Amino acid sequence: MTLDTSVSSTGIGRLFRGQTAIDFYGKRKVGLIVAIIAVAVTVGSLFVQGLNLGLDFEGGDAWDIPASETFGVDEATDVLNANDVSTSGARIQLRSSETSDVVTVQVEVLPREQADAVTADFAEAAGVGVEDISFSFTSSTWGAEITEKAARALVIFLLVVAVFISLRFEWRMALAAITAMANDVIVAVGVYSVFQFEVTPATVIAFLTILGYSLYDTIVVFDRVKENEGRYAGTKTPYEDIVNVSMNQVMVRSLITSFSSILPVVSILMLGSGLLGAVALREFGLALLVGMISGVYSSIFIATPLLAFLKSKTTRTSRRSRLLGDDLRAAVMGAGVSGRIPEDTPQSGAPGSPDDGSEREPVPAGAPAGATASVQADRLLTHPPRPRKKKRR
Amino acid sequence: MKRRLWTSLIGVVLIVLITLGFNIATDNTPILGLDLQGGVSVILAPTEPASTDELTVIRDQIRSELERQGIAEPDVRVQGDTIVVDLPGVRDQQEALSAVDVSGVVELRPVLNPGSCQPVDATPAGPVPGSPTVDTGSTPTQDGVPGEDTEPQGLRSPQAPPESTPVDTTVPADTTPTDTTPPVVLDTPLPTQTVTPGAEVLPTRDGAAECVGPAQGTGEVFERGSAEPTLDASQGWGVAVDLRGGEGRDTWNSLASQCFSRAATCPSQRLAIVLDSVVQSAPTVQEPNFQDSVSITGTFTQGEAEELASVLNRGAFPVEVEAQEARTVSPSAGSDSLQAAIIAGLVGLGLVLTFLVAYYRWLALVIVGGITVWAGMVFSMASFVSGWTNYALSLAGVTGIIVAIGVTVDSYVVFFERIKDELRNGRTIKNAAPRSFKMTWRTIWSADVVSLIAAGILFSLSVGSVRGFALYLGLTTICDLLVCYFFTRPAVLLLARTKLMAKRETVLGMKVATA
Repeated sequence: MTLDTSVSSTGIGRLFRGQTAIDFYGKRKVGLIVAIIAVAVTVGSLFVQGLNLGLDFEGGDAWDIPASETFGVDEATDVLNANDVSTSGARIQLRSSETSDVVTVQVEVLPREQADAVTADFAEAAGVGVEDISFSFTSSTWGAEITEKAARALVIFLLVVAVFISLRFEWRMALAAITAMANDVIVAVGVYSVFQFEVTPATVIAFLTILGYSLYDTIVVFDRVKENEGRYAGTKTPYEDIVNVSMNQVMVRSLITSFSSILPVVSILMLGSGLLGAVALREFGLALLVGMISGVYSSIFIATPLLAFLKSKTTRTSRRSRLLGDDLRAAVMGAGVSGRIPEDTPQSGAPGSPDDGSEREPVPAGAPAGATASVQADRLLTHPPRPRKKKRR
Repeated sequence: MKRRLWTSLIGVVLIVLITLGFNIATDNTPILGLDLQGGVSVILAPTEPASTDELTVIRDQIRSELERQGIAEPDVRVQGDTIVVDLPGVRDQQEALSAVDVSGVVELRPVLNPGSCQPVDATPAGPVPGSPTVDTGSTPTQDGVPGEDTEPQGLRSPQAPPESTPVDTTVPADTTPTDTTPPVVLDTPLPTQTVTPGAEVLPTRDGAAECVGPAQGTGEVFERGSAEPTLDASQGWGVAVDLRGGEGRDTWNSLASQCFSRAATCPSQRLAIVLDSVVQSAPTVQEPNFQDSVSITGTFTQGEAEELASVLNRGAFPVEVEAQEARTVSPSAGSDSLQAAIIAGLVGLGLVLTFLVAYYRWLALVIVGGITVWAGMVFSMASFVSGWTNYALSLAGVTGIIVAIGVTVDSYVVFFERIKDELRNGRTIKNAAPRSFKMTWRTIWSADVVSLIAAGILFSLSVGSVRGFALYLGLTTICDLLVCYFFTRPAVLLLARTKLMAKRETVLGMKVATA
């Protein structure tokens, strides 16, 4: 059987064959600027309009309306809708005991006149007098204690995770991963602030979910970087190259995973809240969607370039500029597993490959210069020589 | 090797099937949250007019007390001048009423007499052996078992002499604002022979009785929420609590000095901590004067120390509240929300699996199987765990599990992409699969450990819905790791060994070199 080693002519083909050669590091400024803009918008919005804290955080207005056969939760919802009161953050419940049933409606604090109008409408809808409806202020359920404890737990978590990543990888990766995560959470908070969505306890959970997802994604990417670091240990490869090669190698995985993660969220958003009308799912789904997209984005465009930047200060100065174009592609393909240079087969028709095979440095290979000649033979062996093991672990 | 793979594969599928079957047979499903299933709501009203601030304090205390009792994610709020407590996962109104019965005021009452209030000889003045002691934490204390405080004297352990001989004291009782006894001036430490006005016999926690004098202080003398169980190497479990500066300390010290000197108001030298007319503990006072904190020691078990600490904390209720009524509440998110979330989640999952099958071709059947096993495992574990911990699954939790699908799928994607890398380099699938798994496992393990750290820390340190989130994050992550190692690995490795696989020209949607 023939092994298809040709470089695909289409972008998509190259992508799915792991033959991409995107200079992620070179585009770091673009990535950074986008991130800075997002953070700036969030901070600006938080400063100007803050967050729209919901019922559970700020308290609100509450009505207790006697329920009857003609007045229930659905009718109460209709009254709120008719009065232009947002029901997405409202809590409408039927409370029943042996003696009587009441519909309890809780919404965010309304202006006095509007609240009175709603009370009157409730009375009319329920067929009772206004005096039978109890209207009162309801406090928050989310006490300061919960926020305090959650914040403390979060700080400790970040410290422990920083230590874990530092031990498992290195501290620069910890710093980069946490920065990327912070960016994602800020972007998600930003969506809530900019669009003034109501923040509920579920939203806080969404932010935490994003936090976890972002870290997860970044670590999967960093694991590949770390692995390649080992592969190139014997060579004087600039760190930017390692980062670029790793990013290209994990790109397919990142895309497929993100797509697989985002698909259910989109389904919740479109189907759950759109078609099936579960309003509670809408803003929650949106926060998750934005956070997850941002999570993938930040792993690629924030965490990794930041890592390369941090590393470039420490590692020995490289003796050449970073690989680009087909050189990079060759490294991406070849270093995929064994760190060998794949034999470039000019006849397979990769554009620009003729000048490639001729005088490329054995840089990405980690193989001694003399090895180039034997590469062709290597490739056909079922058991190629083991890659160098220095610093692998 | 092959055998072990089969064992693992069949084992994990069997275990999941059995637990799932068990759960379904016993109708053991995860408790659903207030937003999805509703629950029981109890309305509490203060017995006397209370300010909003006081109600807010009570709200926080009720919530932490409920959490301590293991009722997770209660929804407690002040509405008007009542406190509304919504409890998830509680069906029975009576159960709800007893659960929120946490509102009593702790009283401090001197012990006049163990057993009954009949006048007895003056001799039994002195610390009762076996009773807990109160000191500033530095004094070594006697051994004692809480709850034995009412046993006849001298029955057991040798009596420890009081630290100093009682001296004549004058206790100006009017320094205590809550004092109801007339000021007494005594020049003898001996107890009076008459029944003190306001004295009554109260049961102790273990069913014995104590005759206690009128309340001279409430739990308000302690700093709010400062009581904590302590473990001391020499003294075992105890409780340390801070005194509220100023009035609190004065009240406490006035009581302590009365008891320490065995004044007529407190002849037994013991001070009873009373909640809801039950003596919780009646420690012997070891010092007349306390500065900032009080330490109660004795042979407490850890549970008893925690219990007492919670009683002391609870005593900080500024006013007493009473349950007015219990009502069943309907789900707040609307009854169709759960259904919508589940339908949307399933459709999303279906789309993801279709996409993966289209992309990875028939090796993706492993993913379909793996996700099924994963889902069964998550369901079973969630059922068990929510039964133990009372953590309800809210809408946010359901959505969190849906998001976890993405992370779970990622284990397969990382694995399969790695296999493709290896195949591209000319390996056979048989050779590539085990190597790829080794690398994949490293990646998945590292990434999942971070999630587990998050789950562990958030669960142990936070409260309320954040804690519920942590629980389900941890659950799904553990299931992911288990399925990855015990299902995906053997499934793919075994498939890769089959002749069918070796003969195929395309694997995972790409052409491979065949051996």
